[in-house]
Amino acid sequence: MSKQVPETIKKQVKRSFNSKEVKKEKNEKRMKLLKEIQSKAFKRAEKYEKEYLEQDQKLVELKQKALKEGSFYREPEPKLAFIIRIRGIVGVPPKPRKILQLLRLRRIYSGVFIRLNKSSLRMLHFIDPYVTWGYPDVETVRALIYKRGHARVNHQRKIIDSNEMIYDKLQKYDIVCMEDLVHEIYTVGKNFKHANSFLWAFKLKPPVGGFSTVKKSFVNKGEHGNREQYINTLVKKMI
Amino acid sequence: MTTQQLRPIVSVFPIKGKVKTIKQVPLPSVFSAPIRPDVVRFVHTNMAKNNRQAHAVSTTAGEQTSATSWGTGRAVARIPRVKGSGTGRSGQAAFGNMCRGGRMYAPKKVWRKWHRKINTNQKRYAVCSAIAATAVTPLVMSRGHRVNKLPELPLVVSDQLQSLTKTRQAVKFLKFIGAYRDVEKVIRTKKTRVGQGKYRNRRHVLRKGPMVVYARNLGIKKAFRNIPGVETASVYTLNLLKLAPGSQMGRFIIWTESAFKLLEDIYGSWEKPSKFKSGFYLPRPVMVNTDVERIIKSDQVQTVLRNRRPRSRKYGKKIQRADPYEDMSVMVKLNPYYKTKLQKQKELDEKNKKERKEIVDKSRKEYEDWLYFSEEEEEEEEEGSDEDREIEVLSDEN
Repeated sequence: MSKQVPETIKKQVKRSFNSKEVKKEKNEKRMKLLKEIQSKAFKRAEKYEKEYLEQDQKLVELKQKALKEGSFYREPEPKLAFIIRIRGIVGVPPKPRKILQLLRLRRIYSGVFIRLNKSSLRMLHFIDPYVTWGYPDVETVRALIYKRGHARVNHQRKIIDSNEMIYDKLQKYDIVCMEDLVHEIYTVGKNFKHANSFLWAFKLKPPVGGFSTVKKSFVNKGEHGNREQYINTLVKKMI
Repeated sequence: MTTQQLRPIVSVFPIKGKVKTIKQVPLPSVFSAPIRPDVVRFVHTNMAKNNRQAHAVSTTAGEQTSATSWGTGRAVARIPRVKGSGTGRSGQAAFGNMCRGGRMYAPKKVWRKWHRKINTNQKRYAVCSAIAATAVTPLVMSRGHRVNKLPELPLVVSDQLQSLTKTRQAVKFLKFIGAYRDVEKVIRTKKTRVGQGKYRNRRHVLRKGPMVVYARNLGIKKAFRNIPGVETASVYTLNLLKLAPGSQMGRFIIWTESAFKLLEDIYGSWEKPSKFKSGFYLPRPVMVNTDVERIIKSDQVQTVLRNRRPRSRKYGKKIQRADPYEDMSVMVKLNPYYKTKLQKQKELDEKNKKERKEIVDKSRKEYEDWLYFSEEEEEEEEEGSDEDREIEVLSDEN
């Protein structure tokens, strides 16, 4: 007795988006895409390495040149800051509370990147006692995104485990891989906003070795406020 | 109209001779009316109340005393007590529903609403359902009728049946057509009624047997009158209480040919109204095609549906991933250039190291040369006179 498949099921399978052929086709497409992404990632990473190197060398050159001439080289003001919230949520007045919310610093030891301009500097001024911030270098940005980088996908916090994830969300901004993301953040490019909002706020660990005193500003041998390039060492302790 | 298995043609059987089709008639539309047990139950329960006779308790029952309460302070309950003395009745409680010989709580009145009004259309709906159910063999069987030996259901028989006059003929017919088993069941299960009805002129209880429906009574009524369980009815006045006894649909009915044909006129169809019930069309079912699954799976529906939203199972589960700075494979997946970068770094470091080594070696050599050379100079200096040395000392540009 031959097993007869009901017609409705036959039709359903034919129409189905989960049928074997459709799945196979989809998979092939996906594999092809992944290969493309990885090759792009390779080339762009190479390009960016050169770029960062050139930048550093250029900086040194200009400084030396100025020294020779007997003048000073004024470095461009930093465009990027990394803020870490170092105080808890209890007893925060409304204005700083709102600003911390806007910056996605909703819990202690959370960190975000921020583009520095007049408006954001004013915001930072209000929340100085609750955060410490500074100018991260490439390696810090890289470490944060690689090790602690989580993406906001479907209103969920998902660890970035492949370039495909980045491609899906940020392809339209020409960001397809990790290095692209790092570059966009570090150099505060055209699509910094989208790259930054793709990233969930970083959840860091309390610093190894601890803080001195959060109540004082960094300038006064405390911890809060602007600590410029020393943010890099702090992040290393907190990452 | 419905997806019921329709029997558009029904055979008409003779009343004696051989059980074979003498004619074929179309099935009237009533038999395709929706079978609604809920409607039938509702109508039946209300219709059954309509043949009730009023009963009540006497208006004076329990009130025929002049009892008065003794009041408080006498160590007895405050219920009214019978006045007087010299008899056991005196001092006994009276009037209350809890008292012996007292009036009942809320004495029954004759003006209780005994009968129920039912909407005419509902009544007709129920009758149509009940008639439709008589053609459905499983329903008739589940009602308890013995219909295994019947040639067909609905059972339609020639009009000669209407002219029968003798009970013997009627019984012979029932045996001939195979309906007598149902009658036998009735006879077999005749019992004395359980309960007090037995001495209230309702002594025996009988099952319901076949019902014979005729168009004209030419003696049929009397012929079937004495057969236990069998009822006759005119097709013009079909009673729901008989079609669905106990609101259980599926009475075994034997139709005469003209009665059967008249059903089309009496109950009409969905296109043509009834000729006898003004403005009445057969009830429509709520769903014509009840196979919902099939409708959903049909091409007409499926081709119009939008695509199922793809569940991005990629990100469904919580993704665990090692630290890229500890696990090289994870790092390379995220940054395919990393290995090359390390290699280049290594090469650069080596190159720098080499260069540095060269510079260091060179300068060390120079220093050693200078040392060696200066040692020679010192030796030469020591060989000269003191005077010369003095002059040399003075001539130094310090």
